[in-house]
Amino acid sequence: MTELVETRDRARGERSAPGWLVVLGQELRDLWLGGRGLVLSFAFSLLVGIIAYLVATNTDLNFLEQRESTSLTLQVAVAIGGMLTLLVAADAVSGERERGTLETLLLTPVSRRELATGKLLASLSLWFAAFIITVPYVWFLGNGVGIVDEALVAGLAVGTLVAVFLASLGLLVSCFAGSNRVSLSLSLFVLLALVAPTQLPAGAQQAWAGDLLLRVNPLTAGERYVSKIVVSGHDWSEDLSWLLSPVIGAVVFALAAILVGGRYIRLRGGVSG
Amino acid sequence: MRLRVVLGLALVAAMLVPTATAAGVEDVSVAVAPERIATTLGGKFSFTSTISNDGATEARGLIAHLNVLSLRNGTYVDPEDWSTNRTRYLQPIAAGESTTITWRMQAVNDGDFGIYVAVLPEDGSPVPPVTGPTIHLDVAERKTLNAGGIVPLVLGIPAALGILALAVRLRRRG
Repeated sequence: MTELVETRDRARGERSAPGWLVVLGQELRDLWLGGRGLVLSFAFSLLVGIIAYLVATNTDLNFLEQRESTSLTLQVAVAIGGMLTLLVAADAVSGERERGTLETLLLTPVSRRELATGKLLASLSLWFAAFIITVPYVWFLGNGVGIVDEALVAGLAVGTLVAVFLASLGLLVSCFAGSNRVSLSLSLFVLLALVAPTQLPAGAQQAWAGDLLLRVNPLTAGERYVSKIVVSGHDWSEDLSWLLSPVIGAVVFALAAILVGGRYIRLRGGVSG
Repeated sequence: MRLRVVLGLALVAAMLVPTATAAGVEDVSVAVAPERIATTLGGKFSFTSTISNDGATEARGLIAHLNVLSLRNGTYVDPEDWSTNRTRYLQPIAAGESTTITWRMQAVNDGDFGIYVAVLPEDGSPVPPVTGPTIHLDVAERKTLNAGGIVPLVLGIPAALGILALAVRLRRRG
């Protein structure tokens, strides 16, 4: 956050506006007008575009595989979109601490919970941008097989849950981490660990232990739900049990980031700021 | 003496009563309905197969299996894509009775296809399976993807975002 004095003045001047809203506005300006959000979105659009191009130009795709391609593109968007929110959230507190701007931020008349809430919501804006970028690709791939609406609704619902979970996780790590490097590397390590079960052989995934592992992991459970809707053509209510861990993960980690993490937004001895 | 008579009668009775062994798969016949189906790519359809036991004893331990193949060279068919439930383990069929199975499928390729149901014994004995008549499936083509149309999206969206990012950067510097 570079315009902290402006934030403080705005917070003092607009007492009618909640503190988290002021922080959110400032963080959004910083993320999007500062250019970081646009650069990340550009990289995201390149990646999703390449995947969409590869699957669309595969002339051997049959009808079912076209649904699988739509699902694949959507799942990549959910995973990478979630990763972007994780990266931004993992930088939210530890980055301020290292850049020496945390002290000024703490002097603003905004509670630490409101700080955490504003930063969390701002990082989620990257997911929504990623989703908007994904819409044309999903429309293109899914239009011929009539699954655009289902795919977009499932992707938005699951992606939002996964993004809230990952952003909250990143913010929590950022509050506790001793340095920004630790925060970013630890967050990425956790993300890799969450993605790893998708590489299990099909047989292991169908065994009870593999199935349990996929279900308790919000990322894999959410992606499995998307696949059930888009590829298998299941009804919304048929596989709701797969949404359990994404919902629990999003709620529990968001509360933890705001209530617990917020208390640890503080200066550290030996760290600039 | 009396015990011997009883045992002897029991033995004779056991030999006279028909055993509950399975009828051979050769006593079974398979009929399907309808025998010709027309649909479009992605269309869902179903048909039934009736497996009749034409033998004098109960038929048990039979498996019905669904298969699909392209009647024209050059089309790869993965039957798993067409139906997720292609193998049915049949309940015993009494002599002279039959059982009907409904098979639900989805056409995932266009072209001419043959579908058939085979019945074979689950004990793996080396006898030829009994198959029903071939169902002729005609799947009409439907354009579901225009591969060339993706290019403007793949180039346009990143380009627009790149220009926007550049403009913001230049504005900040200016």
